[in-house]
Amino acid sequence: MTPAFAAQAMRASPPPDAGTERRVHVVQGEFHVTGDPDVMLTTILGSCVAACLRDPLARVGGMNHFLLPGSSQDVGTGADTVRYGVHAMELLVNGLLREGARRERLEAKLFGGARMLEGLTDIGTQNAEFAKYFLQRERIPFTGGSLQGDRGRRVQFWPASGRVRQMTMEQGEATVFAAERRAKVAPVDVGSVELF
Amino acid sequence: MPIASSLRVLIVDDQHSMRLLIRGGLQQLGFKDFDEAADGEDGLRKLVTTPAHLVISDFNMPKLDGLGLLRAIRAHPPTSKTAYIMLTGQADKDLVQRAVQFGVNNYLVKPFTVATLKQKIEAVFGPLT
Repeated sequence: MTPAFAAQAMRASPPPDAGTERRVHVVQGEFHVTGDPDVMLTTILGSCVAACLRDPLARVGGMNHFLLPGSSQDVGTGADTVRYGVHAMELLVNGLLREGARRERLEAKLFGGARMLEGLTDIGTQNAEFAKYFLQRERIPFTGGSLQGDRGRRVQFWPASGRVRQMTMEQGEATVFAAERRAKVAPVDVGSVELF
Repeated sequence: MPIASSLRVLIVDDQHSMRLLIRGGLQQLGFKDFDEAADGEDGLRKLVTTPAHLVISDFNMPKLDGLGLLRAIRAHPPTSKTAYIMLTGQADKDLVQRAVQFGVNNYLVKPFTVATLKQKIEAVFGPLT
């Protein structure tokens, strides 16, 4: 079975030495959905959040990795930050539905949202609060995970089985800062097709 | 020149968060009269029961998708003149062209700003006051 769906170009590392497991690294701004039992999704998080969503019956799951722009958390105002977050989550949910998942069976684990640097705006908390808010609003059960704190995380998710493993990284570990530096906040208004 | 507050809008999207966002954006633009539906079938049922001036609908929905809803609205004489703006997840030219064939009035690529929402509505109705 091949990976079911990839939104944008995904970076897949070669298979590990043992077994047939294949790792797909989900970088910021991307998501990946699969029902392949041999695929493990992985990411490195600082203040970004990754949502691991799964339909246990269809045995299909996926992970996204997002960083919200701005600072508002009020969905009612239609703020840019929320608009981007909703879009990031919707891409993952729609990818799952296309692969046979049912919305009412989806369950979620959330990771990330750390406060990586003292003194700056706590964007980690903002990302974490948004992710929890979204799940509550869409009535997707939040079945676990690990949010906030002051450490980076390496997360591994096996969508077919639902297994998740998290490794907390040392405070100030260069890998996390490198990942954060690469993080780009997506535009809240994207391309268009000239037909009107 | 239409007054935003006099236009009734039906928002159709299977994500509650997205319906809230659209509603919030429309409120910022002065709209006051809304209804919501969670899929195309629900949207069609509501539109037939209570007509609206404008439908803003997602494409990707269960039961009846945005194109199916558009076709059904255009095929039903009492609703056939309803303005229809479709939401898409990406700037998909083929999808937009199909929607144009079925009579869509405009489209919005998610995520979008309130300014873009306003621009798309004004392209259909003229400047809003």
